[in-house]
Amino acid sequence: MADDELAQLIGTPTGRSVITVERGHVATFATAVTDESPVYRDPRAAAGAGLAGIPAPPTYPFVMENFGRYPELQPDDQPAGNPVVTALGPLLAKGGLILHGEQSFTYHRPVFAGDVLEGTGTVVDAYRKESKGATMTFVVVETVWRERETGDEVCTSRMNVIHRV
Amino acid sequence: MSNGVLHFEDVTVGDTAPVRHHALTRTDLVVYAGASGDFNPMHHDEVKAKEAGQPSVFGHGMFSMGLLGTALTDYVGIGNVRAFGVRFAKQTWPGEDLVTSIVVTSTRIDGDDHLIDLDVSLANADGEQKVVGTATAVLPTRD
Repeated sequence: MADDELAQLIGTPTGRSVITVERGHVATFATAVTDESPVYRDPRAAAGAGLAGIPAPPTYPFVMENFGRYPELQPDDQPAGNPVVTALGPLLAKGGLILHGEQSFTYHRPVFAGDVLEGTGTVVDAYRKESKGATMTFVVVETVWRERETGDEVCTSRMNVIHRV
Repeated sequence: MSNGVLHFEDVTVGDTAPVRHHALTRTDLVVYAGASGDFNPMHHDEVKAKEAGQPSVFGHGMFSMGLLGTALTDYVGIGNVRAFGVRFAKQTWPGEDLVTSIVVTSTRIDGDDHLIDLDVSLANADGEQKVVGTATAVLPTRD
């Protein structure tokens, strides 16, 4: 993929998902990140911490698209094809590695068990760099998560993936 | 904090959060794979990882960030993180002792919010940085 084609990816949607945040999975995920706090498991502990519900750990928005994504919840107007796959698939076919280079989150409020959230992904940057004889292709995808009912923003996840060959 | 609430008035630039140590095991990676849905075999299949030229399976970057997130919420309180971002610098390996480092870099008031900014990182026992980043949290006040 030429550099100008890469630049054209900027602004393209990567898809929309509607997910339900399930209490059992939140507790399982807290265990996986070695957090044994009762706040992630007991609504009384969450209320005692001043929270409106059982919250999810800070990195949970990265994985929540993989769970509770039931078919009947999904929007009909999905973009055709994922531009990240379009951009990196042919590169990967020629070899090299896909790396997760950077990850960030901003939060308006915690994600809570019971939330029904809609995530909208967009490619916000795409560029290529030569470094120490390696060609690095960077694609940055931002996913904004909103309450499905109100449209209020809950959090934003920004992922920087690198193909290195 | 596990034994109390951190208030804005109690924080000074340069303060450090309690250090969290974690000896990384292959079981951690299997648990994280299942909980995250990330089944890249480089993180759980030793045979495939070696075929790919790796010395062994290695940790998910997001496991490292999650471990750092646990140390972060232990300090600032669950539900108080406003921003959290990292760069993945090095792979983590089973058997390594992973050590968190969290330092307050500024305190500020933005409207009604009492905020602290922090430098956050995860390293092994030799000091090799695995994950490096920043965070912002909103804290309660005493009044």
